[in-house]
Amino acid sequence: MTATPTNPPPPTAPVAPETVTLTIDGKAVTVPKGTMLIEACNQNGADVPFFCYHAGLSSPAVCRQCLVDVKGQPKPVPSCYTPVADKMEVFTKSPRALDVRRQMLEFTLVNHPIDCPICDKAGECLLQKHYFDWNAKLARNDGTKVKKDKVVDLGPHIVLDQERCILCTRCIRVCDEVAKNHQLEMADRGDHEVLTTAPGHRLDNPYSLNTVDVCPVGALTSKDFRFSMRVWELSTTPSVCPGCATGCNIEVHHSRGKVHRLVPRPNADVNKHWMCDEGRFTYKRVHKDRLAAPISGGIPVEWDRALTDAARLLRAGLDANPAEVGVVMSAQSTNEDLYALARLTFEHLGLAKAYLSGQDQGWSDDILVSADKNPNTAGATAIGAGRLRTLLDLANDIKSGAVTTLLIVGTHGVLGSDAAPGALPLEKLKSLVVIGTHRDPVSGAAHVALPLSEWAEGDGTFTNRLGMVQRVRAAVPPAGDALPGWEILSHLARNLGATMDFADAKAVFNEAKSKLPFMKDAEWGRRYLPVQLRFAGSRG
Amino acid sequence: VVLGFQDAEDLDVPDLPTEPLPLNMGPSHPAMHGTVRMVLEVEGEKISTADIQIGYLHRCFEKESEAATYTQIFPYTDRLNYISPMLNNIGYAMAVEKLLGISDDLPERVKYIRVIVGEVARISDHLTCLGASAMELGAFTVFLYALKAREWIFELLEEICGARLTVSYMRIGGVAADMTEEWGKKLLDVLPRVREVMGDISKLLDRNRIFRDRMDGIGIITKEDALAYGITGPVGRSTGLAYDVRKDHPYLVYDRFDFDVPVGSVGDNFDRYAVRVEEIVQSMRIIEQALAKIPAGRFLHPDPRVALPTKAEVYNSIEAMIAHFKLIMDGIHVPPGEIYSFTEAGNGELGFYIVADGTGRPWKCRVRPPCFPATAVLGKVLPGLFIADVVPTFGMINMIGGECDR
Repeated sequence: MTATPTNPPPPTAPVAPETVTLTIDGKAVTVPKGTMLIEACNQNGADVPFFCYHAGLSSPAVCRQCLVDVKGQPKPVPSCYTPVADKMEVFTKSPRALDVRRQMLEFTLVNHPIDCPICDKAGECLLQKHYFDWNAKLARNDGTKVKKDKVVDLGPHIVLDQERCILCTRCIRVCDEVAKNHQLEMADRGDHEVLTTAPGHRLDNPYSLNTVDVCPVGALTSKDFRFSMRVWELSTTPSVCPGCATGCNIEVHHSRGKVHRLVPRPNADVNKHWMCDEGRFTYKRVHKDRLAAPISGGIPVEWDRALTDAARLLRAGLDANPAEVGVVMSAQSTNEDLYALARLTFEHLGLAKAYLSGQDQGWSDDILVSADKNPNTAGATAIGAGRLRTLLDLANDIKSGAVTTLLIVGTHGVLGSDAAPGALPLEKLKSLVVIGTHRDPVSGAAHVALPLSEWAEGDGTFTNRLGMVQRVRAAVPPAGDALPGWEILSHLARNLGATMDFADAKAVFNEAKSKLPFMKDAEWGRRYLPVQLRFAGSRG
Repeated sequence: VVLGFQDAEDLDVPDLPTEPLPLNMGPSHPAMHGTVRMVLEVEGEKISTADIQIGYLHRCFEKESEAATYTQIFPYTDRLNYISPMLNNIGYAMAVEKLLGISDDLPERVKYIRVIVGEVARISDHLTCLGASAMELGAFTVFLYALKAREWIFELLEEICGARLTVSYMRIGGVAADMTEEWGKKLLDVLPRVREVMGDISKLLDRNRIFRDRMDGIGIITKEDALAYGITGPVGRSTGLAYDVRKDHPYLVYDRFDFDVPVGSVGDNFDRYAVRVEEIVQSMRIIEQALAKIPAGRFLHPDPRVALPTKAEVYNSIEAMIAHFKLIMDGIHVPPGEIYSFTEAGNGELGFYIVADGTGRPWKCRVRPPCFPATAVLGKVLPGLFIADVVPTFGMINMIGGECDR
């Protein structure tokens, strides 16, 4: 359970950025040299529309939607393809620029199907947005639209509607430049041009769902998400993916207490604009097989009763022999839960036997995916400060009778781990108290099982493989009676006669921050109310 | 001396010694037009203090509006002055149109339709006020006559927009459906019949002793009070204040019509009655002129960012489909800014103060209800009157809970 050694990006030598000064719509602006004109415009309040441009990708200038007038140029220039130059005079709203952009939109719309009511992208569609903002003229053309394939099964996660495609090639560039795998290509010409894979090939790279994110229209849709929810009904909460130690920044899109999808949130230091397909499905576990109520002796009970029972079991073990009491921490827990557990274990109970659990190592690549499938191994290792042993040690200790009473907090990967082949002999324990999220064999074997909230249900921080402490925010309410780990541990501590009172996760964070060196620069961040996507503007 | 033929004041009877008695009228009282509570302190039959308590019909109109698109607010405005919802629709639509900067290029036909249905609504507003107030003084026949005439008008309103009361007929940039030529003819047929009813009402009331006793010289509001309280509309004009938004700040096409603004001289209940009767006559004049001049043309602004395209276009072109989708889901994108726009509604100057932030929903939508200041002045007017004067005075103020409380 150690973090995969990953080299942080090499420090770049600080170079004083060279700047150029140009005029945009009569306003002088100064931007770094090499900036593309479209970025200079959009950063300075001169809104220029685009389809094929994407901040994280190269620009082929195929959509011609970002044309602007530049003084001295005979024709309007594509601003996504034109670097800024000193003393350039740019007019984004000249009659000619507006007119050519309107004409380009009209061309784009000629063959676009009338699908908005059944299209998954409707509501966050760039084509809708640009039409409404820049064209807003009724159709002049009543010709027959070109027919193409409506349902093309491109790969395990993606369905393509060729009629909706506006041929911007963003998806091709995502495969080429992010996944480094040229799986998509344009075929045919003119208004018969279609997006496709090579015959016999599938769009199956581990970053394929990014093509759905960048698709400005509803051509590429996610099989997991399509037809499940109208996007403007969703609320968004910024958070961090729990899928691996990379800690990609994400937005949790949820509605009425249910998570519907995860999409990447740009962070230049961690994941740029992207995330892997595997990470997108981590939300599924939030709503599946959850432990919804405390269980004591096999039957659901009230919290008070369960806490008393749990404390009694632990107290009996402590009174018999404190050396035979063990605690299992999880690399899936937040820093706050781990800190509260460490305080209870080492400070209040003075235990010596603590172990670290977590998901098995998995595959990795040098793009985003990390082999360590736990979001907080770095935090757990730092909080454990060398006192945590492996699950293999735990298996041996149980077998030898060195541990007879066990408290497990977080059950992901406790059983069937590489570190403990043949599973832990939990049945040999005298008492087992589990604080867990799911109804799994571990919580099933427990004498007392307490429901724990999942990552999307509580506030906290994860420490990723670069040592960055990143904020996780509660997006949905906890399943059933589940509570955050720090809160359960506070209650348990009180029942054990120890004083550990925290008002909220932020109080735990602040205390941990003052005690733990690796968290000293961490920020809790501002309070964030979920924003409905209909108010958040088009994600495009 | 025969009792009953002379006013109590004229009798040379010394005031009997009395004790102040608190008396609640409302909030649920058969002679109260809306749900409003008056806490009166009476000495015998005389009122010494009056405390007017409003708010029983508060529906969070202003706050609700912040969560609705600009178009979705129309049904809420129907419920402001629910006696003349068309006028509220018009006032609100004009405020948003000014923010959008499309007031000047509204189709001419829209302006005429708005004038016509607005004046029709004003007639129904005044008929209801007169009829109900007369009924509260025992003149039930007048109420039935007035409601008969209002029924003809409601039938016309139902024909043009599908609803009698909750019309929601206006749209930003126009109206929901065009006015037909037959409708105009039906309206022209109705007007003489309304005139006839007005004649009947006049015969029943003008020389009616019971009515005049509760009208003449009762509930006098001075011109100074009207100005100080900000009272407009028929109540303001009854004091001699010749302020009518249609004349002083002409909107739509009111400057093209010949009509008079009736004013009172005393500011008592009878002046308010007489002003309303005359305003019905003037409204009919305006309608007749407007129907004669109404041009052909569009009934909605042509910009698909403002007005919904037709269904035929929506189902057959992607442009109209997108416009329809965005208008319904996002709302009309009103550029950031603020506006105070005011029109002459049934009770006076109806103002909408709207702050837009560039989204499809108003950041703030405040209403200046014209009957609010008129209700406020009651606390000053009622003391000194008899209990029996409260109901007709309140009736002639024509406080509408839906508008006053919002």
